[in-house]
Amino acid sequence: MAQESPHIDATRLSRRSLLAWLASGAAGLAFSGPARAQVPPQAATPLPSFTGPGANPYWNGVNPFVSYPQKLPLLQITDRGIQLETPRPYFLTPFTPNAAFYVRYHLDLIPNALDLSTWRLSLEGNVERPLHLAFDELVKNFKGVSIAAVNQCSGNSRSRFQPRVAGAQWGNGAMGNALWTGVPLKELLAAARIKPGTMQLQFQGLDRGPGPEGKGADVVMKSLDVTDPALDEAVVAYLMNGEPLPMLNGFPVRLIVPGKFGVYWTKHLTWIRALTREDANYWMATAYRIPDTPRGNTTPAEAAAGALKTVPIGHVRMPVRSFIVVPDGSSKLPRGLPVRIQGVAFSGEGAVRKVEFSEDDGRSWVGATLGADHGPYSFRTWEHTWRPSRAGKHVIAVRATDGKGHVQPDAPVWNPGGYLWNRVERQALIVGAA
Amino acid sequence: MTGSRYLGIVLLAAAGALDPGSTALGQATKVPGLVQEGNYDSGNLGMQMQPAPQTDDAGAVYAVGPWPTYTPPLADGEGRELVQSFCGICHSTTYITMQPPLPAATWEGVVNKMIGAFGAPIPEPSAQAISAYLKNHYTPETRKE
Repeated sequence: MAQESPHIDATRLSRRSLLAWLASGAAGLAFSGPARAQVPPQAATPLPSFTGPGANPYWNGVNPFVSYPQKLPLLQITDRGIQLETPRPYFLTPFTPNAAFYVRYHLDLIPNALDLSTWRLSLEGNVERPLHLAFDELVKNFKGVSIAAVNQCSGNSRSRFQPRVAGAQWGNGAMGNALWTGVPLKELLAAARIKPGTMQLQFQGLDRGPGPEGKGADVVMKSLDVTDPALDEAVVAYLMNGEPLPMLNGFPVRLIVPGKFGVYWTKHLTWIRALTREDANYWMATAYRIPDTPRGNTTPAEAAAGALKTVPIGHVRMPVRSFIVVPDGSSKLPRGLPVRIQGVAFSGEGAVRKVEFSEDDGRSWVGATLGADHGPYSFRTWEHTWRPSRAGKHVIAVRATDGKGHVQPDAPVWNPGGYLWNRVERQALIVGAA
Repeated sequence: MTGSRYLGIVLLAAAGALDPGSTALGQATKVPGLVQEGNYDSGNLGMQMQPAPQTDDAGAVYAVGPWPTYTPPLADGEGRELVQSFCGICHSTTYITMQPPLPAATWEGVVNKMIGAFGAPIPEPSAQAISAYLKNHYTPETRKE
């Protein structure tokens, strides 16, 4: 095949596309020297640069550490748009530090600078009194509330899927818990007076992409049914763990929808629209849909057949999950020492009621000790002291039960989007002779 | 790199080529509060200095530096420049290297999705060359690094 010059192709692009391409910075980036990750000083052997076609066996994704404004070094998923995974050690505490909180954008035009004197939050559409609220009006004119809630990406742990599916190859670190402070959404809706006939509320932030209007690469908009009870608990948050939100987590305000997946937690929230019909934009009608089956489970054959009924992932709440944070298997454990196992658990369907630990790969279970209760949508820390009886390899496991009685299953899940993973977690540990 | 990008925009604007409302930059004027967006620059890995505290600026603009890019190399081969140019309109090629090895049909589906659902302006012969490149380097049978 004859090699086609990108310059010739560029001249075939419409002027708009060419300008967008220049604006994207790709003109400079495409021909710059690529980054090559270095061997880590923390261990003699680095992880491989990719996993597959088998499942990723590691707790996090295998990607290198990278640095970003207002952030500690996090694990790269992608760099334009920006997706960053939180490293495992930051889950030792119930609240995830803002500087370590994961980042997930869909498009690449992410704000670098905002002017709060001209920024406004708009409530518009099918409302009696459209509002355009300045930041200080939002803070001063409405009573603030605080709620601890886990934000988890729909595709958290996608790299566990077998067969693998395309998408951000997260390990377990596309989640975080914070104390969110802001205005209850229902107060804003009451002030704007939603009119009868409203079917959905649509949320849109400042971030966007260079794509043409009406396509997925233009803007991301997410909508929830106006009757969804999750809206009663939703908050327009201007504080995260008591501090302003990092830019990459949605400064100046972000929508908090406790119990729902992060895709509905619109960052840089700027437009709230009352819709009189169901939102048909790409991000509702095509993306982020799950099979309408138990656990959203299906098979590659069923998905390929194309007859699967799907629903937006907003129709479900985050299923119960639990995690082992330490020990992480990076070091050998001397026999005879007690091992303090620690982790977190959460559920979008009511408080975690119970966490159980297994020292024998899930064959038998004992109750673990739960940490402080920060509310039904928060991480709940757990711990258990384990005394390994022999040297050699051990596989420990953890599972949680939520307030609705759901026990975390030990079967995988599969769907083409790579969503809703919540299988029992395991950790292999090596106990050495002493 | 950042400089060259904005220089490009400034030159186009000066030449009257920039039609407000039809480009990313033009749209910026319609977004309340937006001062700057999509500013990227190549990042440095390895030993890094700590960030300095915020400077003495009590104004209403809240700004951070450019978003650093750390784009791993793409496999060498025919079609690589097309991938960098066209896929790079909307995203870095880290979106490719980050994936597990995927079957050829999956890559073809991804290219079609970028054109159909996301609006990537890729002419048909280039789309085929891009699919061929991805199949030649990023399937379970062909992926090396």
